[in-house]
Amino acid sequence: MKEFSRREFIQQTSALGAVSFLPIFRQETILRPPGAVPDFLARCIRCGKCMEACPYDSIRALGITAGALVHTPFIDPLKTPCYLCQQRGSDGKDRPVGKYLRCGEACPTGALRRIVNDRKVLANVPEELRMGTSVLNRKLCLAWQYDSCGECYYNCPLKDQALKDRPEGEQVKGAGIRPWVDKDHCIGCGMCNYVCPVRSHIAQSIMRRDVKLSLFEERYAAMVRNVIGSTGKGHALPAIRVERRPM
Amino acid sequence: MNQDGQRKWQIKPLRRMVQLAVLGGLVAIPFLSQNSMSLPPSRIVLRQMPQPALFPVSGDTWTLTLGSMDFTHPVAAIEAIFAAKVLYVPLLVSAIFPLAMTIILGRIFCSWLCPVGFLLELNNKVTHFLSGLGMNKQLPKRDFRFPVLTISLVFSFLFAFPVMAAFDPPHLLGRELMYFATHQQVCLFGVSFLAAIFLLEMFSTSRFWCRFICPSGAGLALLGRWRLWRISMADNCIDCGRCDLACPYQLAPMGLVEGKKFDWLTCDNCGLCRDSCPVGTISYSISINDHRHHVGNGGG
Repeated sequence: MKEFSRREFIQQTSALGAVSFLPIFRQETILRPPGAVPDFLARCIRCGKCMEACPYDSIRALGITAGALVHTPFIDPLKTPCYLCQQRGSDGKDRPVGKYLRCGEACPTGALRRIVNDRKVLANVPEELRMGTSVLNRKLCLAWQYDSCGECYYNCPLKDQALKDRPEGEQVKGAGIRPWVDKDHCIGCGMCNYVCPVRSHIAQSIMRRDVKLSLFEERYAAMVRNVIGSTGKGHALPAIRVERRPM
Repeated sequence: MNQDGQRKWQIKPLRRMVQLAVLGGLVAIPFLSQNSMSLPPSRIVLRQMPQPALFPVSGDTWTLTLGSMDFTHPVAAIEAIFAAKVLYVPLLVSAIFPLAMTIILGRIFCSWLCPVGFLLELNNKVTHFLSGLGMNKQLPKRDFRFPVLTISLVFSFLFAFPVMAAFDPPHLLGRELMYFATHQQVCLFGVSFLAAIFLLEMFSTSRFWCRFICPSGAGLALLGRWRLWRISMADNCIDCGRCDLACPYQLAPMGLVEGKKFDWLTCDNCGLCRDSCPVGTISYSISINDHRHHVGNGGG
């Protein structure tokens, strides 16, 4: 085995470290758990307690491709959204699970702030502690185009506060639900993102022609294509997405 | 003391029990605190969500929660201060007890609590077996623990995120088990890193990571340098040299009898030298003096 000096070792370790640090400068598109402070990465010691505390296992850990950010917690709303520690009863009403949001309660370093689990507080979380803000694409939205949906409105943990059934200060035709995001109150949990049916393989077939559809599904796809154009260029699925707050 | 002067009770079985308990806890805690919900949540399941389980113990050796009490690895707390450049009071409070333990008892974390240290001690047997077959290649014995610690802390400070938190092996093991329990998948990084350490030690120097690389162990070593609880020598040493052979770090504790220099930084109070002594010369005592010569005939 080659003998290597201390100086060489330090040089090589530094080089290796620097390479693994590169992804930290990459533009991130992932959601951090609710209550993440602006200097989240500096404070997070990756202990995994938030992951363990999360009642719905929404919080995941970044993998090896994240480089130096490996094992920092994140939420992928398309897999499991943040339920904001709510439990929905058979009467359709949400009840809080615990006094605080579990992840913030478990965090030992203050990387996640402790937020009181109360609708009023959750809807008025300071902007720098939110996960993000939902953005609705009316051209893709089934409720706006065909008056035939409303899943995001019904499933939003902050229903009637963050997501309303009528846009404010705007006249709309029709009696159905017209989802509208109140940017002052949306915490960015991603529930709307998760339940939006436009992310289905039918909607994906509009952007990617290789998806095989049944005759019935093809008719639906034709309807959506009619609205957004045949290629769907410039549209991102699903119709309602969470835009991560800059960190 | 029994007839041949060896001690009646040995430290090693006790230490093994503690290590097994820690490892068992590390495996069990994430599964116990896991939610009872086994179905993937969907819009339909959302309406039937069971009350999520609340288990009072969570975390691993990096930080641990027992009921309402938090315990943080002192090196984790120090590194967090370097990275965040703020003093977060709950974190500091949670580090007080482990820090006091390290300062008084030395780095007993490494010998008594560290689950990877335990597994590497078991891995030692594989190393010895392979070296018996001649498949073993010794690596150069250079101590890189303090350079690695320095690099980690400097990088933590410059890049503003904790570096050691990403690769500290006992913490990696805990996180992988945690991730496996909650999401039934593992992160490739932890598994490959741990496997690399184990394979390296199998085919080369035993305890290579603990002795020459481990930065968090080095941090604990510095904190426990002026420990109170340490080995001391009685007058009845028979120069058999068994303690020198027993020491996993090859620190030659027998030299203490002649007042030679002893590497208190590396000694982790594992007690193997005490157990190996046939006449009970080595004992643990409270001392602040590095070279105290214990006078008496095989005391406590």
